[in-house]
Amino acid sequence: MTTLLIQNGHVVDPSNGIDRPLDIRVADGKVVEVAPSLNVKGGDQVIDAKGLHVTPGLIDIQVHVREPGREDRETIETAGRAALSGGITSVVAMPNTSPVADNQAVIEFVYKRAAEVGLINVFPSGAISRKQKGMLLAEINEMKQSGAVAVTDDGVDVQDENLLRRAMQYAKTCDIVLMSHCETEALTRDGVMHEGWVSTQLGLPGVTSATEDLAVQKNILLANLCGARLHLLHNSSAGAVAAIRAAKRAGNKNITAEVSVQHFSLTDEECFGYNTNAKMYPPLRSRDHVEAIIEGVKDDTFDAFTTDHAPHIEPDKLLPFADAAFGSTGLETSFAVMNHYLVKAGHISFAKGISKMTAEPARIIRVNKGTLSVGADADIALFDTNRAWVFDVQKTFSKSKNCIFDGKKLTGKAVMTIVGGKLKYRDGRIL
Amino acid sequence: MTVNPADDLIQTRASRDLSFLDLVSIDQVTDKDFSLIMDVARAFRRHGTYKFDFNKGLSLMNAFFESSTRTMASFDLCAKQLSMDTSNLSSSSSSTTKGESYLDTALTLDSYNLKIITVRTREAGVPEFLARHVNAGIISAGDGWHEHPTQGLLDALTMLDHFKSTTLEGRTVTIVGDILHSRVFGSLVRLLKKLKATVRVAAPETLLPVGVENFGLTVYHDADAAITGADVVYALRVQEERGAAGFIPTLREYSKMYGISKRRLDLAKPDAILMHPGPVRRDIDVHSALVAVDERSHILQQVENGAAVRKALLWLMTSRLNGKKKEIVRK
Repeated sequence: MTTLLIQNGHVVDPSNGIDRPLDIRVADGKVVEVAPSLNVKGGDQVIDAKGLHVTPGLIDIQVHVREPGREDRETIETAGRAALSGGITSVVAMPNTSPVADNQAVIEFVYKRAAEVGLINVFPSGAISRKQKGMLLAEINEMKQSGAVAVTDDGVDVQDENLLRRAMQYAKTCDIVLMSHCETEALTRDGVMHEGWVSTQLGLPGVTSATEDLAVQKNILLANLCGARLHLLHNSSAGAVAAIRAAKRAGNKNITAEVSVQHFSLTDEECFGYNTNAKMYPPLRSRDHVEAIIEGVKDDTFDAFTTDHAPHIEPDKLLPFADAAFGSTGLETSFAVMNHYLVKAGHISFAKGISKMTAEPARIIRVNKGTLSVGADADIALFDTNRAWVFDVQKTFSKSKNCIFDGKKLTGKAVMTIVGGKLKYRDGRIL
Repeated sequence: MTVNPADDLIQTRASRDLSFLDLVSIDQVTDKDFSLIMDVARAFRRHGTYKFDFNKGLSLMNAFFESSTRTMASFDLCAKQLSMDTSNLSSSSSSTTKGESYLDTALTLDSYNLKIITVRTREAGVPEFLARHVNAGIISAGDGWHEHPTQGLLDALTMLDHFKSTTLEGRTVTIVGDILHSRVFGSLVRLLKKLKATVRVAAPETLLPVGVENFGLTVYHDADAAITGADVVYALRVQEERGAAGFIPTLREYSKMYGISKRRLDLAKPDAILMHPGPVRRDIDVHSALVAVDERSHILQQVENGAAVRKALLWLMTSRLNGKKKEIVRK
């Protein structure tokens, strides 16, 4: 029997309202005891967590692992290593792979590869429509039976309102959450960054925030029409905040929403110098939008934080801004970004931040994770919340180097990461 | 006694150097840079097409990934009048049509040990991007909707000479037309603000970029109101395809609302000048009779000043007295 004893740490487990010094004992991959001053038993591997915060392993419900199909950008293994170094123990894999995860074979492949690699938990999501073309529904129930935790056409979004309504009705039938990326293509057109003063100075075609506002409103309307569970991916605009807040205040418990950490931390000014790592969808927006997003975090308009980790090879970013690929990597930095820009900046408590990276995302995808309850899977992260560091993308665990946080000063770093009771990461090394 | 042209230039320069090694935006041009460029450009203009040997042995490549008539010809002639060897790469002959990236094309050109590469692209930001990675000095010849810095400089020279001044303080410049898609506007507005001009723009809302007023200008939808009392009327070209893309209904309606007619130009101050970066669409942007014949039109002076400004830049950027060298990142 393998046992672990984590001693002297400050445990933050929002699912149980715990925020105090406690020890944790793990046996056979499960949490077996959470109590003050546990005694060392024979066979215990003792981890001294003095000065560290001990939390459930983080769950990131929007990650592009690129496998199958684009293993030159990222694989389940490299994404897993990057995740571990960021304290992340579970991810939801987006379905825009090659082939698209629009059938049970791809869903099962992702589970199989993740098990072979054996680093973190990878929960695949399936496509809403076949090949993500927005024309015909994918076999959602087959994918659900194979273990898909959500359906989404992330990256392209369903434009046809009738198909979106049918998809929501069908997802409800299958009891699976539908995740929407919220973009109105007719308004986005050739836009490559947030439309505003910065895009005007750079002479780049802008994307109006109305493209997101309109899609968010449309999604909420249709979800309420059919009573489906809707999760709104990577929100970035003030209009989205207002719409989601209003929907939640009206008592719509079927609606959840996330914000990717770059959208509460960075503005469109990152695009100056035609920095293609700052090119992403939704785009980094102006300060007023960022402030609205932070307000939405504070009043729980947003349930979860994600990365939208989107690895790209260098040639796809060494291009004119207009032609470069959309997306930034982020698995290694999301905790530090949250801690630095929200907790240390005084916007929210540490426990609230951890809740939105553990218990809340687990609730959205309905997995029994994100908690340190006795009997739960022993996915645990240990953080030094005060460590100041600068992310150097040259040292990344990811296969790709397109990270907008490269060179940024951050606060807080995962020191150890435990998955299923096994210590997988310690002080910069994958074990 | 006639002055030796080379001596005149050297005396005018007075041992001054530019602060920049590439020119991709007017934002790089300091006040000192600006007065140096203006002084040297005027000196070159005094000597017409005289062939200087300043840049003998140095090579220039015009890398135009988007079509151009006057700008490429102007750089080519200017370089030759400085005794440079030149070559022109245009979009149809470029290997980017075979899938080579801008960066790889530029690295190839850079290996010819060029001193200057002028770059024009349909996408914004390419000159700035290439400048980080190649040894040659990059001069933007226009990038997307961003900037066209040599155009801005020649426009400034044209205005300052007309008003016989070193600033445009107290002067009102009205820019009319497709502001949104105009790199000429991008450089012009930055320079006009440096020169303390009062700037007005007149365009339909569909052809104005978001937040354009942050440049420090006043937006008009009514061209007559914008032109009334102006010292400079600067017309921008509107492109045919804007109609199809829904920015304007028809060129016919556009020309009625924003075309510069004699009646409209008469609303400006009596000594006002008319400018246009070319190519002019007669009777659409500017009434035909105004283009080349009306004494208020400075459109052809702009072209002449373009040559003077470009010669100044080619000399000043290649022959550095302070020995400053570029630092680049190989990618």
